[in-house]
Amino acid sequence: MRPYKTKLICWIFLLVIVLLTLFSAYITPYESNTMNMDAVYEAPSQSHWFGTDHLGRDVLTRLLAGGKVTLIVAALSTILSLFLGLIYGGISGYFGGRIDSLLMRLLEVFLTIPSLLIILVFQAFMQGSVWSILLIIGLTSWYTTARIVRTEFLKLSQLEFVQVAKMIGTPVWKILVSHLLRNSMEAVFVVTLFNFAGAIFIEVSLSFLGIGVSPAVPSWGNMLFHAQSDFITGAWWVGIFPGLLIMFTVLSINIIGSSTFRTKRG
Amino acid sequence: MLQIKDLSIQVDDQVIVRHSSFVIKQGKITAMIGESGSGKSLTLLAILGILPKEVDVSGNILFKDKSLFEMSAKEIQSFRKDEVFVIFQDAFNSFNPSMRIGKQLFTLAERGRDSGYLAFLENMSLIFKRLDLSNEVFQKYPFELSGGMLQRCMIACAIYSKPSLIIADEPTSGLDVQSQTALIEILLDMNREYETTIFLVTHDIDVVKEIADEVLVMFQGSVVESGLLETIVSHSVHPYTKRLLTSSFRMVE
Repeated sequence: MRPYKTKLICWIFLLVIVLLTLFSAYITPYESNTMNMDAVYEAPSQSHWFGTDHLGRDVLTRLLAGGKVTLIVAALSTILSLFLGLIYGGISGYFGGRIDSLLMRLLEVFLTIPSLLIILVFQAFMQGSVWSILLIIGLTSWYTTARIVRTEFLKLSQLEFVQVAKMIGTPVWKILVSHLLRNSMEAVFVVTLFNFAGAIFIEVSLSFLGIGVSPAVPSWGNMLFHAQSDFITGAWWVGIFPGLLIMFTVLSINIIGSSTFRTKRG
Repeated sequence: MLQIKDLSIQVDDQVIVRHSSFVIKQGKITAMIGESGSGKSLTLLAILGILPKEVDVSGNILFKDKSLFEMSAKEIQSFRKDEVFVIFQDAFNSFNPSMRIGKQLFTLAERGRDSGYLAFLENMSLIFKRLDLSNEVFQKYPFELSGGMLQRCMIACAIYSKPSLIIADEPTSGLDVQSQTALIEILLDMNREYETTIFLVTHDIDVVKEIADEVLVMFQGSVVESGLLETIVSHSVHPYTKRLLTSSFRMVE
């Protein structure tokens, strides 16, 4: 299949997922948290396409409602990390010299601490809130963005058009926005996409470990957390569907990211 | 017009330019020739005052008898904005790749003088016609144009803003022979028509022979020879200059 076709399919898939999850409340006939003890562990059927879980809740409904939480957490934390990375990398790359080496050494220190560890510690203090998990993912995933922005800015600053702009007294903000930022957008876009996929992954793994979003709120990771025990009882559908959905979502984001990266390289 | 006195440039204990002094005379075309790495470009950056911070500069540069190093920020600004125009070697990197040419030429050529964008385009299209550029170029992005076209756009800017001094850093390298000759002719025209002083940095002896009034020969960081083109060609003293003169491609003719 031609690369752009694959990319298009991935975009469409993502769009469908995003729309379905955002408007899940209007689409599905069930409530995501309504229990039905008469219909516990029902296999996929006409009335419950993806079956029901240990409390008789519709898996499909929870999948869509959970996707909303997971994707919103991932998206907002990615935006947070994008801003942090742009500011940090921008300062480092624009000023260069001593400020740059100081900031980069500091960044290397951050990088040596595994972010999962920081997240675990942080979560131990602030159990469960969606906001705290969003904040902590954002705070620990801006390093790559900062590095990319810094390299792009350094590279662009060397070029003649930026030199000339500086020489003829173009205001700093204008150089930053229309010369430097504008020309590094492509690289920033790619790294942000990868960050987004990474953020989904972190949310899922944290909730899977039981230290992410509080169990009352449906999220893809939370569903997998329960699926561990459900799987043993034979209810494979509780785990398989969220698993597949996570896999395909992350996969298509990565495909879009890497194909953009490749077209950029020519 | 521009007087360089005892200029030395040092990068990390390594002296790149050594006590070089020379003069760029008003209304003349002065060519600086030298091999790569002889400090030509750094000298040029020093004149423009855009050397990186890590670089040490000593000596003095006088513009119309005023030291560039002692000028107030405002005077420096006006020197760079109104008096000088720079044409760089790499035309592709001279333009922002994500902005249309018209908008960029506007900011470059206008430099704060206010006439509207439309009035600017009108005036510019006259210059464009002269340089064999179509008006469609205004709507194009830099990567849609060839190196020669971009270089001509740069020149168009120079013609529009009528600076008193044009500094050109190897403007012809990277262009095909035809564009080279065209570019050199435009520079000559500008010199004759507006009496623009031109400071040309190059390593191409043929270009020098074609247009220069005065020649500076730079060798390993110092100016080893300077004077009128005829004098240099007929009475060269330094061995490097002699070698240069005999290495011309067109000697065969």
